[in-house]
Amino acid sequence: MSSVATLPLPAGAGARPRSAASLLPWVVLAVLAAFPLIAPAFGLEYYIGFVRRLLIVMIAATSLNFILGYGGMVALGHAGFVGVGAYTVVAMVEAGVGSAWAAWGMAIVISAVFAAAIGAVSLRARGVYFLMITLAFAQMLYYLAVSLRTYGGDDGYGIYTPLSLGGLDGLHADIFYWVVLALAALVFAFSSRVAVSRFGHALMGIRDNETRMAAMGYPVYRIKLVAFTGAGAVAGLAGALLASHNNFVSPSLMHWTESATLLVMVAIGGMGKRWGGPLGVAIWLTLAEVLKLYTEYWHWPIGLMLILVVFFAPKGVATLFERKEKTQ
Amino acid sequence: MSATSLFEAKGLVKRFGGLLATDHVDITVEPGEIHALIGPNGAGKSTLVNLISGLLPLDEGSLSLDGVELAALAPHQRVRAGLSRCFQVTSVFKSDTVLDNLLLAAQAHAGSSFRFLSRRAAEDVLMETALRLAETVGLADVLGRIAGTLPHGAQRKLDVALALAARPRLLLLDEPMAGMGPEDSLQMVALIEQLRAQTAILLIEHDMDAVFQLADRISVLVYGRVLTSGDASHIKGHPEVQAVYLGTEAHA
Repeated sequence: MSSVATLPLPAGAGARPRSAASLLPWVVLAVLAAFPLIAPAFGLEYYIGFVRRLLIVMIAATSLNFILGYGGMVALGHAGFVGVGAYTVVAMVEAGVGSAWAAWGMAIVISAVFAAAIGAVSLRARGVYFLMITLAFAQMLYYLAVSLRTYGGDDGYGIYTPLSLGGLDGLHADIFYWVVLALAALVFAFSSRVAVSRFGHALMGIRDNETRMAAMGYPVYRIKLVAFTGAGAVAGLAGALLASHNNFVSPSLMHWTESATLLVMVAIGGMGKRWGGPLGVAIWLTLAEVLKLYTEYWHWPIGLMLILVVFFAPKGVATLFERKEKTQ
Repeated sequence: MSATSLFEAKGLVKRFGGLLATDHVDITVEPGEIHALIGPNGAGKSTLVNLISGLLPLDEGSLSLDGVELAALAPHQRVRAGLSRCFQVTSVFKSDTVLDNLLLAAQAHAGSSFRFLSRRAAEDVLMETALRLAETVGLADVLGRIAGTLPHGAQRKLDVALALAARPRLLLLDEPMAGMGPEDSLQMVALIEQLRAQTAILLIEHDMDAVFQLADRISVLVYGRVLTSGDASHIKGHPEVQAVYLGTEAHA
C-alpha cells in the first residue's frame, strides 16, 4: 500500500487520474511487441530468444510475488510448480499430444492440483516452518522427476517435434515470442487487477495482521490456499512455456536453487510491488547475461549488486521508480 | 430471563500442561447487558477471552450465542455467528490508513471476499460503512492518517471500530482502557456506554472506576475460577473480593 497519507477526506478514491505512469505498461508492451521486428536491423536476433526467456521467468516471478509480496507467504518451493508444469508438457508429448494449447492448459490444471494439495498441508504452518515445508515438497518433486526414467530421469527429456500453436503456426518465425508476450501481459494485468480487488485487499490484510483478519471474520486459511493455488497454476504455465522454449526439460528446472533465485529476483524487484516481479527478473537475467560475456565468475558482481540493493532500495528497485513518478 | 441468555458459557476448562488456567467457568451475558470481568493479573482473563473467541481451543465446556453452539466453530465462523472481539494489545493494520483499516473491516461483512476482478475502490457500500464506523468511534477527521501514527487512544478506538464492523450480538472488549490516560479513558467509557444500544458486551477491564460505572453485572475471576458475580455494590462489599483483588491492587 502507498505510504503517503492522503489528507484527510479521500473523496472518490475509486477514480484515479490517467497519468503518464498509467501509460507505462502499454509503452513497455509496445516496445516488447516490436522487438522481434526491430532486432534483426541491429543484429540482435539472438536476443529475441533471450527476451522470450525473460518473459517466461517474469510469469513465474509475478506469480511468486503474488503470494510472497501480497500474501506474505515466503515459499521456497515455487520452482517445484514450474517443474510440474514443464513435466506435464513432457507427459502430454509422450502421450502423443501435439497441441501447445492443450499441453499448456493441462500444465496449468495439474500444477494447480499440486499447489492445492501442497498448500493445504504447508499453509497450516507459518514463517520458517512454512518455508521449510514448501522446500521439502519441492525437493520431493525434484527427486520424483529424477526417478522418472520414462521422461529421461536425470538426463532430462528432449521434445523433438515442437508443439503446434494451431492456427498461429507459420504466421511468423517469431510467433511463439508474441504468444509468450501476450500470456505474460495477461498474467501481469490479472495480478495487478487482483491486487486491488476484494481478494487482494483481504490477502494483504492477512499478510499484515493475520490474527486480526480472523477476528474480523475472514476465512484466512481458505484465502491463502486460493492464492497459493492460483500462484502455483501460473508458475505451472511458466514451466510449460519454458518446456516449449527450450524443447527440453530436466529436473534441474526445479532444483531448490531455482526457487531461491526466484525469491531473490522478487526481492530485488520489490516484494508486493506491481513491477517487482518483472523488474527483478529483468535486472537479474540481463546482468547475468552481460556479465557472462566478461567473466566466468559472474555471481560475485551480482552479489555486490544485491548488497547495493539492500542498502539503497531495501524494499526493491520498484520503489525507486515509485518515488520518481511522484515527483514528476 | 436467565433461561434464555444471549450468551452462555458453561463449564469452560483450559489446561496448559499442569496449570488449570480456566477452571470450570460459567458466564452468561443477557441482551443489552454489559457484563464486566475483573480479576488480578494471571487470573485467566485473557485466556478466557481467547477461549470464547476461538483463538485457543477449549479442553472442556460449551459456548452458545443466541442458541448457536460456538465451541466447534473456527474464530472467523464465530464472528459470523455474531461474536466479535477487540485485543488487549491494539491490533490494527498499522501501515494502512484509517480508512483502509475500516474498509477492510467493512468488506469482511458485506459479501464474499472471493472477488478477483472488480476494483474494491469502486464499491460505495463499503465506503459508506467505513465512514459510518469512523463516525461512531470518532475517527472521522483522521481517515487519511496512517493508523500506526495515531496516538494510542485513537488506535484503541480504531480497534473497537474494526470489531464493530461485524455488527456483533456480543462484543468482547479485552482491556479497552489499557495504557490510556484519564482523558482517553473518559472518551472510551462514553463510547462503550453508547455501544450498549447496539450490542451486549463482555468487558474485561482493570480500570475499576470504568467498570463500576459501566457494568450491569460484574464477575470476579481468581485463579481461573469465578469467585463471585453480582452488581457493583455486591462486588464492592464482598469481603473475599476485597481480600484477593481490590486488596492486591492497592499494594501493586
